[in-house]
Amino acid sequence: MSFPEKLLRSKVFIWTLLVLPGLWPVWPVFVSGNPSVGADPLKYVLHHYGFVACVLLATVLAFTPLRVLFPKSKLALALNRHRRLVGVAGFAYALLHLTAYLFHDGWATLVHDVWAKPKTFILAGLGAFTILLVLAITSVNAFVRWLGGKRWKNLHRLAYLAAALAAYHQIYARKLFPVQVLWIFGPLVVLEILRVVRQRTAANPEAREKM
Amino acid sequence: MHLRFPKDWALPAAAVTPEPLYRLAQRREFLKTLGIGLAGAALLRPSALLAATAGFPAKGNPLYPGTALKPTAEEYVTSFNNFYEFGTDKSEPKDYANKGWKTDPWTVELAGLVNQPAKFDVNELVKKIGGLEERVYRHRCVEAWSMVIPWDGFPLAKLVALAEPKPEAKYVRFVSFNDPAHAVGQKEGNLDYPYVEGLRLDEATHELAFIATGIYGKALPNQNGAPLRLVTPWKYGFKGIKSIVRIEFTAAQPKNTWSVMAPDEYGFYANVNPKVDHPRWSQASERVIGAGLLGGRQATLMFNGYEKQVAALYKGMDLAKNF
Ligand code: HEM
Repeated sequence: MSFPEKLLRSKVFIWTLLVLPGLWPVWPVFVSGNPSVGADPLKYVLHHYGFVACVLLATVLAFTPLRVLFPKSKLALALNRHRRLVGVAGFAYALLHLTAYLFHDGWATLVHDVWAKPKTFILAGLGAFTILLVLAITSVNAFVRWLGGKRWKNLHRLAYLAAALAAYHQIYARKLFPVQVLWIFGPLVVLEILRVVRQRTAANPEAREKM
Repeated sequence: MHLRFPKDWALPAAAVTPEPLYRLAQRREFLKTLGIGLAGAALLRPSALLAATAGFPAKGNPLYPGTALKPTAEEYVTSFNNFYEFGTDKSEPKDYANKGWKTDPWTVELAGLVNQPAKFDVNELVKKIGGLEERVYRHRCVEAWSMVIPWDGFPLAKLVALAEPKPEAKYVRFVSFNDPAHAVGQKEGNLDYPYVEGLRLDEATHELAFIATGIYGKALPNQNGAPLRLVTPWKYGFKGIKSIVRIEFTAAQPKNTWSVMAPDEYGFYANVNPKVDHPRWSQASERVIGAGLLGGRQATLMFNGYEKQVAALYKGMDLAKNF
């Protein structure tokens, strides 16, 4: 087994990668005392966790197309062992993001923006969060068995909707278009397009002959 | 670029204060190339010396004291800025507005429908107006956060009086600088530049409307809009156009930058109003800057707490429509 493969198969390594971004805000908020962060530290935390949630969501969704596109790659296979872990971590960061929001803006603001005067930007966040919550709960083994493979798989396709809602939410969180959305979700879109092309040609022997 | 090597480059800041500032900036570049940029920049701090220096110390205006409102810590006011000319991140203006962008000398022009069109050097303007006063105002950003800032400056009404607007003049149009070579945001074109703002003439001559040339008793740092900017404390912060080069009196309502950019989100009036939401967030409450990790949510006040003073300006107007 090659070293990169060993690393990517390692649970400890993946856990470390997943936990470290959660600790990151400790540095500017408590240690370096950066005044641009200290002005509104919780907003910084809120943005950071939302950002990590989006990155993890895009990452975990990229695992499947990577496996399809590189069926012989041991690395793609190694990554796919961690789908559940990375997906649940994405939910955990969304939960941290929502918690930060509730401390920052308060319940009254949430109710106002969801119920009294609904804002599509907040509704999209709430929709993405609800999907991630359902998917996290149903990724417990007992649930997977209870639902059965096919139904479970169909349910978990909602992750794509969650990603679309999260991308919309991230874009509309800003006054101007945030370019980072492109490099978070762009690669995923490219991989998905390539996967569809690959599966089409694989399913169609004539097309395969022409290739 | 032509580089000069001033003889006294190693002297402490106190010893070199009266230097022309373009040389200070160059010296900073020189120090950087020597690899001691950080230490050098901290020593010389050109931002503290730039901008309009006339009129300090300002006299406190007892009507707007710092005792009723507790000013936000200065380091937050100077490092948490919306000044898209120098980047969209709150931390960016402090860096990018202090990299060779010169705010001294600075000329501001009075133009349009006036009897006394003129161009003034900012320092001369301050002297002509009769000095500076300090006022502590609430500051409410459209993004639902707030500060309390001790401004040094003079009432805008005095400037309007200097220009002697003609009877046809109904609005005042403010234009900021345009210098893409020194302003990264302008180079990127993140908004339509130069930045433009506007007021109705009766708003501009209201006692609260203020032109600031300083904060905390010192000349405005570049990132806060040196050397002179508009302050209208009953309106959202984006009305407070920074680094003004031209003040024009017009008959038609000026098109202000953000209302052109996103007309459904930002209007001409931009009066602080807890009952009228931004399309994407509530304006009912605000985050107090500098209140720490968990503190600092407070209710937003009508006209940002200046209702008594300004409500009459908008009598009979539908404030939800004229947001
Ligand atoms: C009920 C659920 C949610 C609420 C109430 C919520 C609220 C917010 C708010 C208020 C902002 C903007 C803050 C500001 O700049 O003023 C924001 C930004 C953001 N949120 Fe959420 N959010 C929710 C769910 C989610 C989920 C599920 C994700 C990702 C999977 C997410 C990712 C983001 C990202 C990436 C940003 C932008 C951060 C930035 O601009 O730097 N949010 N959210």
